[in-house]
Amino acid sequence: MNRRRFLKDSLVWSAAAGLPVPLLDISAALAAPVSPDVFVGHGKPYDALVRQVMTAAGGMHSFVKKGDMVVIKPNIGWDRRPQLAANTHPLVVRTLAVLALEAGAASVTLFDRTCNEKRRCYVNSGMAEMVDNLGDSRVRLEHIDGRKFMELDIKRGKSLRRWEIYGDVIKADCYINVPVAKHHGLSGLTLGLKNSMGVIGGNRGSLHFDLGQKLADLATIVQPTLTVVDATRMLMCNGPQGGRVSDVKIADTLIATRDPVAADAYATTLFDMEPGAIDSTRAAAAMGLGQMDPAKMRLTRVRL
Amino acid sequence: MSGGRSLEKKSRYQVLQWLRRISQLGFLGAFCFLFVNTDYRGSDELEYAVNIVFRLDPFLAAITMLAAQTVIALMLPALGVVLLTLIFGRWFCGWFCPLGTLLDGCRHIVPTDTKGYHTLYPRLGRLLLITALVAALFGFHIAGYLDPFSLLVRGLVQTVYPAFHGVSQEFFGFTYASAPEFVNTVTEPIYTWMKDSILPGDRKFFELVYVSFVVLILIFLLEITQKRFFCRNICPLGAMLGVVSGRSIIKTRGGSKACGKCRVCARVCRMGAIDDNRGVAMSSCNLCMECAVKCPRQIISFGVGRTGSEPAGSVPATIHLGRRRFLAAAAVGVLLPVVKNTNVLAKQDVPSLIRPPGALPEKQFLGRCVRCGECMQVCIGNALQPTLLEAGFDGIFTPKLAARTGYCEFNCTLCGQVCPTGAINRLALAEKHEVKIGNAWFDKDRCLPWAKGIPCMVCEEHCPTPQKAIRFQPAQVTNAAGELVAVKQPYVVDELCIGCGICEYKCPLPGRSAIIVTNGNEDRDPGKKLPQSAAQPYG
Repeated sequence: MNRRRFLKDSLVWSAAAGLPVPLLDISAALAAPVSPDVFVGHGKPYDALVRQVMTAAGGMHSFVKKGDMVVIKPNIGWDRRPQLAANTHPLVVRTLAVLALEAGAASVTLFDRTCNEKRRCYVNSGMAEMVDNLGDSRVRLEHIDGRKFMELDIKRGKSLRRWEIYGDVIKADCYINVPVAKHHGLSGLTLGLKNSMGVIGGNRGSLHFDLGQKLADLATIVQPTLTVVDATRMLMCNGPQGGRVSDVKIADTLIATRDPVAADAYATTLFDMEPGAIDSTRAAAAMGLGQMDPAKMRLTRVRL
Repeated sequence: MSGGRSLEKKSRYQVLQWLRRISQLGFLGAFCFLFVNTDYRGSDELEYAVNIVFRLDPFLAAITMLAAQTVIALMLPALGVVLLTLIFGRWFCGWFCPLGTLLDGCRHIVPTDTKGYHTLYPRLGRLLLITALVAALFGFHIAGYLDPFSLLVRGLVQTVYPAFHGVSQEFFGFTYASAPEFVNTVTEPIYTWMKDSILPGDRKFFELVYVSFVVLILIFLLEITQKRFFCRNICPLGAMLGVVSGRSIIKTRGGSKACGKCRVCARVCRMGAIDDNRGVAMSSCNLCMECAVKCPRQIISFGVGRTGSEPAGSVPATIHLGRRRFLAAAAVGVLLPVVKNTNVLAKQDVPSLIRPPGALPEKQFLGRCVRCGECMQVCIGNALQPTLLEAGFDGIFTPKLAARTGYCEFNCTLCGQVCPTGAINRLALAEKHEVKIGNAWFDKDRCLPWAKGIPCMVCEEHCPTPQKAIRFQPAQVTNAAGELVAVKQPYVVDELCIGCGICEYKCPLPGRSAIIVTNGNEDRDPGKKLPQSAAQPYG
């Protein structure tokens, strides 16, 4: 999709919202399968872990087609080192990027709208070094470019009806959401749906009222092709940025699934919590965006 | 024979003139390089910073050492400049000073009155120098408003550089949104290159921009009245070097009776160093070589000691200060700090005046800070802003944390690294994590969970201390709809809060934040210690 097409599409979408009669409800078309496949891996090293889990999931080529523009959205929100578990592990991201290239991706773009200063986050998270070492011009770690935000209608939104979304995500042929599993003071945990806040513009702080529903609303238009939850290290308290190694649990776990709700729901169980304890998971499941009942997921386990 | 020799001499001075130009451009380039690199470049330790030029400045060295009443090792390189001045005179002004170079350069744009070669206020620079030195002895700092590097760097930091960034963003934003594709294939790579090299990471915004802007522009506009107006009439650094260079080893041989009515040398002199009798004052001459090159009969020359025949043109054009003026300037320097002590700030400070982490106790801080603005340039969160009157009349342009504009980044120690004088101490990261620059306070009439029963935890989320300094307690609150709802209400743990201000910055309320940082509890002043509860309120 090029820029012109994107502009045209977003105009059409915006125009659609202006129509007095609602368009055909497409929620049926968007509805996720009742029994989603969820792939869970345990073990080290993390590059092998990612490869094994993705092999189990049918290989990266079942998500990335030749010539695709791929966006990988890790959590790089905080000026914290990898061992503090505030950001996605760079090795997990690296392996996903390499797999995407192997599957024929034309480009792999990485970014996050950071909470701390953007350059510090990219450096201290280890992402900048990782991309440098990869040394492949098709893999780019980019800072958010304010010009690329597009204000879009969220047609199915209940609490959030309109917001600025990063153009690269909308344009991407394949969007891979790679959250890190961690504690969060307000929402309990921050997982995949919360990670999508890194692709939106505006005053994000103001979303914290009715956050769970808003994240679910956002998930109706920011839909990952694949969600990979990095639970290699889990920040158990003082999240979402932590700062003490003693708050981190080494879990060596990775979850991959097409179903964004199932990803979060399963990751929640790793913290010995009920999936329903997370507002955004509950709200998204209620909107038919995915399965939150672990009993109804088709689990495939991989061990290294 | 004599014609051949004078030609040889002329070409020698032409070479020197070119060397001077190359030196000026080289140092200006180095200055710009250092300036642009006074920014985070991916490493916690800065490789270069423009603070080097301040450490070469003997005027600021004298001021800060007098104010601190101690030898500041950081400023010792300035001694080298004094020694070189004893040999070469004011080479610093003519061959090095980036402000001088820019003033020389701007004369190609701004028309200058070439006839008025007498310096308008030949004693002013020395008077300001004396006042500044005496005031500094009492800890009253005015040097930052007079020093050429302070004026230049501050103007660049607060106005020129952010304006350049803003214009670039507007321009490339326009081409991106509105220009056809083929334009973007050219402009986007340029913009990417600029972002990677000469533009700062994020756009910065400053208070007092117009003040800094007007002061800087004025220095350049004054070139209309005479060449190097600032250098000749105001610059106390130049005046100080002038006092030294009166005894320099390199001397000029001025004109003689053989010159007749020729006054070319005096007319071309950018420093007004040559008087009507073609005597050259080494205290003003900045060795630009213009007179030696332009002298039609090659009479003017430079050399070690008194070269050649008796220097004609009789007494050089030094204008003496006089004892009365000296005493008057010194008296002003005594009066300023005396009057300062009657300011209400001496009794009660302004609570919003939060100094950067590592800042010395206020009195020492004000004495050492040279108002260069480097800390504001390097501040990664755009948190440091120039103070207006919160720190008194002599505190204008000193840095303060304005937390609604930006916050102090937890893992950043750059301000202490760039501070040329140690007014902000260089802190190790572990020290920085512990330093309290202030304390956060909730405004419970505005804070959503407290005032309206609406959940919000943005401050707690961003609080960077590993054990959160903002925590919450569960509460049942009646909201506006009359419903009893359960919310988490945040509170501050004073013992852990370091006053970084990220909570105030990120508070999502429009307008005033519901959590505000003040300088209460700051480490610099034991008198500001907050009362501690007997029982530790946290685990």
